[in-house]
Amino acid sequence: MESDSQLVARAQSGDQQAFAELVRRYRALVFRLAVSILGREFIPEAEDVAQEVFLKVHHAIESFRGEAEFSSWIYRITFNQAVNLKARVRFRSLHMDETVLYQAVSLGPGPYRQAETALRDQALAECIQTLPDVYQSALRLYYWLGAGVGEVAELLGVPENTAKSYLHRARHLLHGMLKERGYSCD
Amino acid sequence: MTEMEPREAEIDNLLRRFMAAPVPGLPPDFEQRLMRAVRRGSQPLDRYRRILLTGYGLTSAVTSAVVMRGQGLGWGAISVMILGPLALVAAARWARRATYPTMGHGAK
Repeated sequence: MESDSQLVARAQSGDQQAFAELVRRYRALVFRLAVSILGREFIPEAEDVAQEVFLKVHHAIESFRGEAEFSSWIYRITFNQAVNLKARVRFRSLHMDETVLYQAVSLGPGPYRQAETALRDQALAECIQTLPDVYQSALRLYYWLGAGVGEVAELLGVPENTAKSYLHRARHLLHGMLKERGYSCD
Repeated sequence: MTEMEPREAEIDNLLRRFMAAPVPGLPPDFEQRLMRAVRRGSQPLDRYRRILLTGYGLTSAVTSAVVMRGQGLGWGAISVMILGPLALVAAARWARRATYPTMGHGAK
């Protein structure tokens, strides 16, 4: 199998097949990173981000000089693209949507318990939205998309220990925020 | 993951339940659509745009130089005023490229 740098060199000389191979290699990861930043209610937008990222990469690949890994470069473009898009679409009502879309499976039997759980989940969704983008992304990658700490670290371009501390810090912050709003986590 | 303290384990369990939803994926025709967009937006249009922009830039520069000369400015000052902004743009692009691949995106 050809390495990324070999494929990049071929793509730089105009080989569309090499670029297509890079797309096949990175499309799922780019999409996962985009969707982890944007959240569950912006899946179509995450697809657009993935497409924009590859168009940008295609446009700028001649200027890529290989000082960093190709993967780091493409993940960084993805991160910036998704964060910019998120800033533009933030006016949409996120909180309820995300709560509903995550479909909490812990609903109790009675209506009171169901209402209580729904309120707590809504509060949790709102708290998640207030976290820094990297914490939100780390949480969604780890808890929703099933990524391991290693993958979280790779996609966010940080060492594994930093990814672990993002998750730890995010949990700590969420616990505090929920407690402040009068909700328990059990 | 390392051992969690009880309150962290509580929020860990809650997050696992809260985020229990199907994992989305890209549509199967993503690559085809992308490669179509790549082909559509590539070479000929870029070349045409570049020629058009170069022509516009040269015409503007020559016109500006003639007008400034008419105002009594010397060639040195005219060169600085025309080439200065270009040099700034080139320097900014160079600086951006130099830092672009190695920048991380840490927590804000």
